Amino acid sequence: MKENNYSAVTVRLSGRIDSGNAAQTEQLMLEQLKDSDNGSAVILDAEDLAYISSAGLRVVLRLKKSYPDLKIINVNPEVYEILEMTGFTEMMTVEKAYRVVSVEGCEVIGEGFNGKVYRIDKDNVVKTYKNADALAEIQHEREVARLALILGVPTAISYDVVRVGDSYGSVFELLNARSFSKILASEPERFDWCVAEYIKMLKAIHAIEVPAGKLPSIKRKTLTGISRMKDTVPDGLGDKLLAMAEAIPESDHMIHGDYHTKNIVLAGDEVLVIDMDTLSVGHPIFDLVRMYNAYVGYSEYDPDIVLSFQGYGADIARRFWHDSLAAYLHTKDEEKIKAVDEKVRCLSYGCLIDWSIRHTDPDSEKDKATRALWMTRLAEILKRTDSLDFEIPDTQKSDPDELDIEAATENLEKVMDFVNSHLDTVNCPAKARMQLDLAVEEIFVNIARYAYAPEKGNATIKVEVLNDPVTVTITFMDRGVPYDPLKKENPDVTLCAEEREIGGLGIFMTKKVMDDVYYEYRDGQNILTLKKVL
Amino acid sequence: MLQINKTVANGKAVFALEGRLDTVTAPEMESAMQEVLPELTSLTLDFAGLEYISSAGLRVLLAAQKAMNVKGEMRVKNVSKAIMEIFEITGFSDVLTIE
Repeated sequence: MKENNYSAVTVRLSGRIDSGNAAQTEQLMLEQLKDSDNGSAVILDAEDLAYISSAGLRVVLRLKKSYPDLKIINVNPEVYEILEMTGFTEMMTVEKAYRVVSVEGCEVIGEGFNGKVYRIDKDNVVKTYKNADALAEIQHEREVARLALILGVPTAISYDVVRVGDSYGSVFELLNARSFSKILASEPERFDWCVAEYIKMLKAIHAIEVPAGKLPSIKRKTLTGISRMKDTVPDGLGDKLLAMAEAIPESDHMIHGDYHTKNIVLAGDEVLVIDMDTLSVGHPIFDLVRMYNAYVGYSEYDPDIVLSFQGYGADIARRFWHDSLAAYLHTKDEEKIKAVDEKVRCLSYGCLIDWSIRHTDPDSEKDKATRALWMTRLAEILKRTDSLDFEIPDTQKSDPDELDIEAATENLEKVMDFVNSHLDTVNCPAKARMQLDLAVEEIFVNIARYAYAPEKGNATIKVEVLNDPVTVTITFMDRGVPYDPLKKENPDVTLCAEEREIGGLGIFMTKKVMDDVYYEYRDGQNILTLKKVL
Repeated sequence: MLQINKTVANGKAVFALEGRLDTVTAPEMESAMQEVLPELTSLTLDFAGLEYISSAGLRVLLAAQKAMNVKGEMRVKNVSKAIMEIFEITGFSDVLTIE
């Protein structure tokens, strides 16, 4: 029952090892090991081991003294519990027996460069790995997924490692999960929803500061690739690219590293991000680079590539990239979008060319043509680009926006339209919208009537929308007579019609329908702020 | 924007409002009512199509209620949930006769 495998010797254990047969078992084991050196690695295969008592454990301990590299594999759950309780799992490598899962006939729900994802039943999927070193990879992915979850990223963590054919797989519970790729391919009307959720998640990831040393730097990895390919770029532009890449500011914020629509899933009504093995830290441009490649870069020469990988066509992919970038930058200004798009593409083409040189057939005409196309575009953009850095919009809030307008009741509609254009960007319930309308009208009309009377003057209105929870803050500023409307006494709302004075009702209602209203006089300005949590 | 659909006959009037009763539209409502108010003994305001009301609108309602108290009755019907809430906050739910 002995297998000599290089310098490792495998001994199979079977049945029960207890005080009745411990001595005999030890004798047998030593017999099997007598030909091997003391330094060899000994593997105890416990696949058929049903039970081990303390007498048996003492045998293992003695063996471990002679063979320090001893490890026990294929341990069933009962035996594992004994080894764990007695502290053996801390003293030596103990590997559990892996459940065997067959993926034959199972639906393939995802496929990446490293393996396929199959649905094995309604609530569970298994991710398989192509690489020989799958266990180390699975272990790494579990660790980073756990770190991400603790730091606040909604993700799935595998709860079991299983054998799938000759390799391994990790099992995830994903209730009715559908990737955004599937949704985009089958429900085009949800395109805008996908963009919004996709970017919301990306911003949440980028907002996370990662403790030092927990995740690798994606900049370093990218620089390695750029250094490898830079001399293939004509006119010394490769050196310019490398210098610009080196100048990208360091950052300890989280980067997903492979953020495309196959890795975002809707499970029930929850949006999750999966495939965490590329998690890193760095400047957001590095996620944008991989996004560009997934949607546009890889398929720039052959548009069918994106269809076979994502399941939707090149036109949808290109639009998804554009709209996502616009949402990420929180702008509709095409000039601004294009400027960042070009910075991203500098690095994208660099990475793609490096990848192609290393991973595709050097004689393939198609790959040569693809590289030539990337190279032409890279050189063209590099000539007019001087920095890859760009202003990162605050990941927590949208840009505050201001309207400066004459404080006159005729302008009320313009003020309302301005405020509503901001409310349109968030999911504002009808009731809250009416309450915000009411508060804005009351405050603006007050300023229009009293702040500068009988003269005229301007008011500035600023709207800010913050996330988690969604909070709308509207600030009114004017340079009129210093006046704190909140000091006005509340009207008595219990009086009958004849006794009621009309006045003060507007401010009173504003206070009632907002979550917070405050006033200050600063730098010659009345500043009134409304706050409403949606 | 406010649309006022008036029906006046035999001292009775129904005003069906559609849209928003705010600072901009309240003056239209006020003058529309003042045209007929002197001859009325009964005024019904149908709010089925009213989406929004601000303090400017409340002011017009209060003036109408005061005028009608002297010589007849005024009722408000089909008030939406959102507008009812405004009436409750401001005590108008007790001032007006709401059906």
